[in-house]
Amino acid sequence: MPIIPSELVSFSEVPSALDLKAKLLANQTLLAESETHVVEVVDVLKSYGEVLDAYSKNLIYQAESQFLVPFPLFKYLDGDKSFAKIWRHLCHDRINFEYAEYCMKAMLWHGTGGMDSYFDSAAFIENIAPIIQVKRRDPLLGLLHPLFPQFLPELIRTAATTHALGQFWRVMSDLFIDLADAEADKRVCSILDVVDFIKAGLVAAAGNPISYGVKLANKHFWILPPEAGLTFLADVAVPYVEAVFLRGTPFLGTVSFNAQAQQISPDQAQFCYGALYADPLPTMGAGIPPSLLMQDMYRHLPKRLDLLYQNRTRGEGDVRVKICRSFQKSMFCVTNAAIAGTFPHGLAGTTADQLAADEAYAEAWAKRLSQGRTDCLAV
Amino acid sequence: MMLSILLLIPLFGALLFLLLPSELAPTRMRSIAIVVLVLQLLWSIRLLFAFDLELPGMQLQESFSWVERLGLRYELGIDGLSLPLVLLNAALTLVAAVCTRELSERPRLYFALILLISFAVNGAFVANNLLFFLIFYELELIPLWLLILIWGGTQRVYAATKFLLFTAVSGVLILAAFLGLAFINGSVDFSLSPLVTERIGMGSQLILLGCLLVGFGIKIPLVPFHSWLPDAHTQASTPVSVLLAGVLLKLGTYGLLRFGLGMFPDAWAVLAPAMAIWAAISVLYGSLAAIAQRDMKRMVAFSSVGHMGYVLLAAAAATPVALMGAVFQMVSHGLISALLFLLVGVVYRKTGTRDLEVLRGLLNPELGLPFTGTLMILGVMASAGLPGMAGFISEFLVFRGSIQIYPLATLLCMVGSGLTAVYFLLLVNRAFFGRLAITPEEDPAIQKRLDVQLAPVAPRETIPALALAIAVIALGLLPAGLGGISDAATGAMAQLFSGAG
Repeated sequence: MPIIPSELVSFSEVPSALDLKAKLLANQTLLAESETHVVEVVDVLKSYGEVLDAYSKNLIYQAESQFLVPFPLFKYLDGDKSFAKIWRHLCHDRINFEYAEYCMKAMLWHGTGGMDSYFDSAAFIENIAPIIQVKRRDPLLGLLHPLFPQFLPELIRTAATTHALGQFWRVMSDLFIDLADAEADKRVCSILDVVDFIKAGLVAAAGNPISYGVKLANKHFWILPPEAGLTFLADVAVPYVEAVFLRGTPFLGTVSFNAQAQQISPDQAQFCYGALYADPLPTMGAGIPPSLLMQDMYRHLPKRLDLLYQNRTRGEGDVRVKICRSFQKSMFCVTNAAIAGTFPHGLAGTTADQLAADEAYAEAWAKRLSQGRTDCLAV
Repeated sequence: MMLSILLLIPLFGALLFLLLPSELAPTRMRSIAIVVLVLQLLWSIRLLFAFDLELPGMQLQESFSWVERLGLRYELGIDGLSLPLVLLNAALTLVAAVCTRELSERPRLYFALILLISFAVNGAFVANNLLFFLIFYELELIPLWLLILIWGGTQRVYAATKFLLFTAVSGVLILAAFLGLAFINGSVDFSLSPLVTERIGMGSQLILLGCLLVGFGIKIPLVPFHSWLPDAHTQASTPVSVLLAGVLLKLGTYGLLRFGLGMFPDAWAVLAPAMAIWAAISVLYGSLAAIAQRDMKRMVAFSSVGHMGYVLLAAAAATPVALMGAVFQMVSHGLISALLFLLVGVVYRKTGTRDLEVLRGLLNPELGLPFTGTLMILGVMASAGLPGMAGFISEFLVFRGSIQIYPLATLLCMVGSGLTAVYFLLLVNRAFFGRLAITPEEDPAIQKRLDVQLAPVAPRETIPALALAIAVIALGLLPAGLGGISDAATGAMAQLFSGAG
């Protein structure tokens, strides 16, 4: 057998948990500084921002206009039922809104934060009781509700999560597009600037209220009322990061797990199948795209990043894998910003207890991140 | 003159290459070779239109006196047994030329040798005289030996010498049988007719048939004379492997049917039960040996050993259906093994290895070789005899035609057919599924983060394999065409045998 040419196989060094912790405590970026990294992160976030804009609009449309519709056949059409739109949809000339739904379901199943607690509260059940009364007039729902009393509340929780994710992505979409503008204006020139820009955006939006109500029979009903006190960062952004970046949902088609073979921990908190852990290389089977998200981002890829990809590896042939790799880099930047913005004492503690608390926080994050695809962080 | 023209096209092509200036670019030479081989294919198809499907005997015959004192006559003819193989030869030599790439060393000689092989193989299939056949049979050895010796892998000298020794012994045994026939007859009649052997006693017939069996058994190859084949395949370049598996092995099975069954029907009836068992042993040994291989090419080579055993089983049974199956098996094996060798060649060219302990996940849709992998899955399905593809028709006919005559041997061969699915699924599972990698799995943590950069397969690189895959499916779905060509000839051959039996 001939020796395999070394240029065909490469392996990037994986930083240790200690390295990651030291970087977090020193307020350094996890992703190495380089001009290419800046282009990759900013441009991929720009395309992500445009995709999130569409996801956000659709999620809000679904939660408001398709609320408890038994067969929501046109839920991805955003209310436009023209023949041209339906034809494009059937020809798959469209955004994969399914990916947004997967993320919503991941948030619902891995429920953490204040919104999940509110879903389990008596106040929530009390709030939705009149909604169910109205909706029971629908013959199908009227039949199903007595048979399965938890069915409609669960659908309402789903709709509320859908709306909350739509609100979260509205903010993130604007933030990522603003980031691209800032980079174009030379206000952002490095990875550190990128992380700081995102951190500032998250901090600015941290206290934004999250609420959701529906209009039925000409009457308004609150599902997530303002008095529940739900806010952007603690009740939606952090649970979203926990569910999508860390625990679930792996990019579609990248890998499959066999729960019966004990390949999945029974403890959801131990899950590490999120975007930061996903293998960008699809495994098993021809024809499965690395991810619906990558397909969507490919449609909105900025020219500069497209040119960069054309000159790498297989050019157009493996562009979705390259998008996925850049996306992981950018998600490490977002996570980096979120961690930097949520240190217990903002790395400015003066007492030993405050310093120890920040260190413990950094250590816990470094431990979780070190299992991820940190090989993408090097230059 | 149609058959003479068939021979002259590649011969003149080979001579033309010797006259070409050596500084001509290899790609230009390849184009010239392709033009010659397209002409040969078109002429072979022309023969098909001139061929009368209803007639069982030799057609388009040509006969001229050459060296009368030696009984050597320029006698050509074609029937339903040889016509499919002539077409196969034309198609696969063209495929071999098309898939020749990155040839930097002696391209003039290379293409001349390829054309010379095609000429010799055509000659052997249309020769209507024993000695004339033998000349072509021997003529094909030297170009093939040179092709392995010059353009082969690192162990090419060993493999080429082994090939030459084995096949030279094969040629000597066949020559001995033909000369023995003349000696016993006391005449120099080398015409191709069972009448030549009618006056010979059974003992002598058995000895002569034994010589032919071993001689052609080496070429096919049958266990235990097979050991040259995996080495030759492993060291040969992809186009040479395509020719070797697709066409040259068929000289053995063709010879066995034409000269063994066709000329010694009485002795054949005596040896047939032993041959059926021999076929079963060959099939099982080839299949089990294939399971143990870690080199993809050796695995496909051992699968050839196994699959050629089906032809021997069918020849032993010698019923009309079985003989039809033998012809189908020769053609389908030619197409399928050529397809598999082509694809293994693509994998080797892109990854630098054929080691099943090293290759993983080549079906990766983004960074692997997805289309190559898809065709490979199709190829192994065809080889395993899945319905709708060529392998199914041929195996079904062989088993259907043989089971009543030799039930045990046929059942054992069916087990071998099942084992084909085992080793080819191992191949596909190891090399094509899982996460993309071309290194041995030492540390799973590193393995799952490896970044593999394989050059993509250009569409033009897969055109020959795609053409073969289409042929495999076409033959599987529309077998009546080939059946119509060989029906009369195989029927007559079976009648000859049943008359003798």
